[in-house]
Amino acid sequence: MSQTESGISQENIIETEGVGKEFNGVWVLKDIEFDLKPGEIHSLVGENGAGKSTFIKILSGVYKPSSGTLNISGRPTDLQNVRHSESLGIRTVHQEINLVPFFTVYENIFIGSEEKQKILGIDVMKDREMKKTAAEVIKKLGVELDINRPAHLLNASMQRIVEISKVLVHSPRVIVFDEPTTSLGEEERERLLDIIKSLKKTGIGIIYISHNIEEVMSISDRITVFRDGNKIDTMQREEATPEKIVSMMIGHKSYNEYKREDCFKCDDVYLEVKGLNTDVLKDVSFSVNKGEILGIAGVVGAGKTETAKAVFGLDKIHSGEVYLYGKKFVPSCRKAINSGIALVPEERQDQGLIPNYSVMKNITLTYMDKWSRRGIMQRDEEISAAKEYIDLMSIKTTGYSQLVKFLSGGNQQKVVLSRWLNGDFNIGLFDEPTKGIDVKAKEDIYNLMNHLAGEGKAIVVLSSYLPELLSISDRIIVLCGGRLVGEFDPKEQNAQERIMHAMLGGRVA
Amino acid sequence: MTGSRLDIGSIDKKELFRKYGTVLGALLIFVFFSVVAKNFFTPTNLLMLLRQMSMLTIVSLGFTFVMGAGGFDMSIGNATGLVNIIFAIVLLGTGNFWLALLAALLLGLAVGLVNGVLVAYIGLPDFIGTFAVGSIVYGIKMLITKGNPISFTDTVPRIFTFIGQGYVGPIPFPVILMAVFVGIAIFVLNKTSLGRRIYAIGGNAVASLYAGINVKRYRLITFLISGLSVAIVAVILTSRLGSAQPLAGEEFMLDTIAVVFLSTTMFGDGEPTGSGTFVGALIISMLNNGLTMLDVPYYFQYITKGTVVIFAVVLSVILGQKLRVKF
Repeated sequence: MSQTESGISQENIIETEGVGKEFNGVWVLKDIEFDLKPGEIHSLVGENGAGKSTFIKILSGVYKPSSGTLNISGRPTDLQNVRHSESLGIRTVHQEINLVPFFTVYENIFIGSEEKQKILGIDVMKDREMKKTAAEVIKKLGVELDINRPAHLLNASMQRIVEISKVLVHSPRVIVFDEPTTSLGEEERERLLDIIKSLKKTGIGIIYISHNIEEVMSISDRITVFRDGNKIDTMQREEATPEKIVSMMIGHKSYNEYKREDCFKCDDVYLEVKGLNTDVLKDVSFSVNKGEILGIAGVVGAGKTETAKAVFGLDKIHSGEVYLYGKKFVPSCRKAINSGIALVPEERQDQGLIPNYSVMKNITLTYMDKWSRRGIMQRDEEISAAKEYIDLMSIKTTGYSQLVKFLSGGNQQKVVLSRWLNGDFNIGLFDEPTKGIDVKAKEDIYNLMNHLAGEGKAIVVLSSYLPELLSISDRIIVLCGGRLVGEFDPKEQNAQERIMHAMLGGRVA
Repeated sequence: MTGSRLDIGSIDKKELFRKYGTVLGALLIFVFFSVVAKNFFTPTNLLMLLRQMSMLTIVSLGFTFVMGAGGFDMSIGNATGLVNIIFAIVLLGTGNFWLALLAALLLGLAVGLVNGVLVAYIGLPDFIGTFAVGSIVYGIKMLITKGNPISFTDTVPRIFTFIGQGYVGPIPFPVILMAVFVGIAIFVLNKTSLGRRIYAIGGNAVASLYAGINVKRYRLITFLISGLSVAIVAVILTSRLGSAQPLAGEEFMLDTIAVVFLSTTMFGDGEPTGSGTFVGALIISMLNNGLTMLDVPYYFQYITKGTVVIFAVVLSVILGQKLRVKF
């Protein structure tokens, strides 16, 4: 199939030919052919790490492509920086809200591009003009919003409107929306989608990135699927179905990296959560048995981390109960640890490690009292414990006294794991345990989890990387938007497609 | 094995300078004053220097704990004055040194408790919380004394005068106290689980929380230790002066900040240490002592100390250590 239809190419605002990007010899994006017409919504979908954000960063001038050509309005363009891209009319509405809380709506809209005039050699803001333009833009969006209201008093959806207005005052020709509906409720989401559709009618070309497949199906004119840095296909909306998109996203590669055969599940329920409500979670219930590995799947922001934090006593629980070994448990961090819960957090650097502490001090951090007599650390015992875990986990380090910040990601993760291993926990919560670590370390960690289950521990693996959950879990539950949306047996037919579909917000069949 | 030995031999100069640069600085200042100031390098003056630095060292050791856990205590200058007044009042009222000492220690702990609750539990920024406490403390001591000093009569117990003015052999008693407290601080910070947890919190408070450390409680403990060290210094100071002054100890605030920042530039990775604080206090005290000997007016001493603080902080940033204090 030929990618460029020569007849239309002239009116393309953006067109890429064989665009690729490599970092340190690794091609994260390969040979991308993509085009965008005025007045269309072109969605980009793909799993985490498929290359969507890299591609967008090339379009917005953050990265320079390592290969290929980028044509803007039919002319080959070598984007120098973000400003250059913006001057050509390409703007991005980012996933994160970036407003100054105490600035008003119009001040936020014009931040960094204030309209000013010189009076006696001093730049003076043209407040009246800015207010007028801001009001016009907001009116065009069909929204009721007071431009003099401070941003921190707005709800999430209105803040998003301000972010969009920030872009619109520059009369862009292309807007990239990166997951704009994250953290919005159902109605607000509908309204935002309507706004995006109305923008398209004004002739703006829209690139829409989302994990929500229903959204993509309802809003797009065309849909392009990325996988592992490759473009798999571009479809007209009419030719696409959710099933087709999902199967393109996950492909048919065999995940032979790890296959778990064992099952150690016993009858005793170790952890049970009933009707849990927090700021993020809505009525989440699940249980995990002794010897079982439970996978909790969900895209970024689905509520996986919040589930672990609630059980570990780090997030406030509004309602619902937690039971440990059949007894009611009111979570707090210290009590959770004393009751045998271990949490390996998602953000290794921020939540897992004391960077300036040695490997040894990081390993002995949680159960420190094991190596102290009347508060005094027993150095020899501590050293031998550290050496034991460095061996056991094959941590690559120059020695127990090396500062942990100098270790690679995988080895740092093993240090965090070792910290818990020396304390005989019963319930292990592993939040994205293999995030950003190399293949060998991943396999070690899978083997470890299998081994721990075999010892009779209950293991909960929270991950957005479905293949690993499929290979390691006895059972998988899926979270989406803070709700539990399904439970699956990883060995059932089409498990992968069905789970992915549930993760992406499709109703479970 | 031989490989690692070779590595040790080839440690680069930058690394050496990073570890021992501040010690080298202390040496240079010492040599400078020995050469320039006539009476600096004499046994009498050196013992006097040690005695002068003893109070600064002890109060800075308390601050070292607070900053080790990533905190800051702006109340110590004012708190010293309040404790020394209450100590004097109880001593004069009861004639019992031990009762007065107990009152002083409890008061120091109370100030630390208020600081710790405000900062660690209620969540006020360290600067604001402890600065406000310092202001309240200042008001209270002025309320009590109307700004007037409290003088002692001849009937005060001998042990009281000994604390600040006594000698053991040729060594002033405060110097012995300093040595003991430096030893205790080094031991607690390096060898105990308390010290390990304090530095862990300073290194990464979030990760410490995830590792099950009761971050709030340990931060509170550092403020209690700081309050205790303030109380001890206030007692020594009262004995030394032979009277209680409401404004006594105010100069400790700036000097202590200087000392502990110097401490963070020493021996490693941006944590203030017990030994580092000792060297820091030595540097600041040598400047105080030496500049006075050179008849440098006191206001130039302030300028010099301010410059030293800036120099120490800039040095620690240049050497790639991040500042521990979050503003």
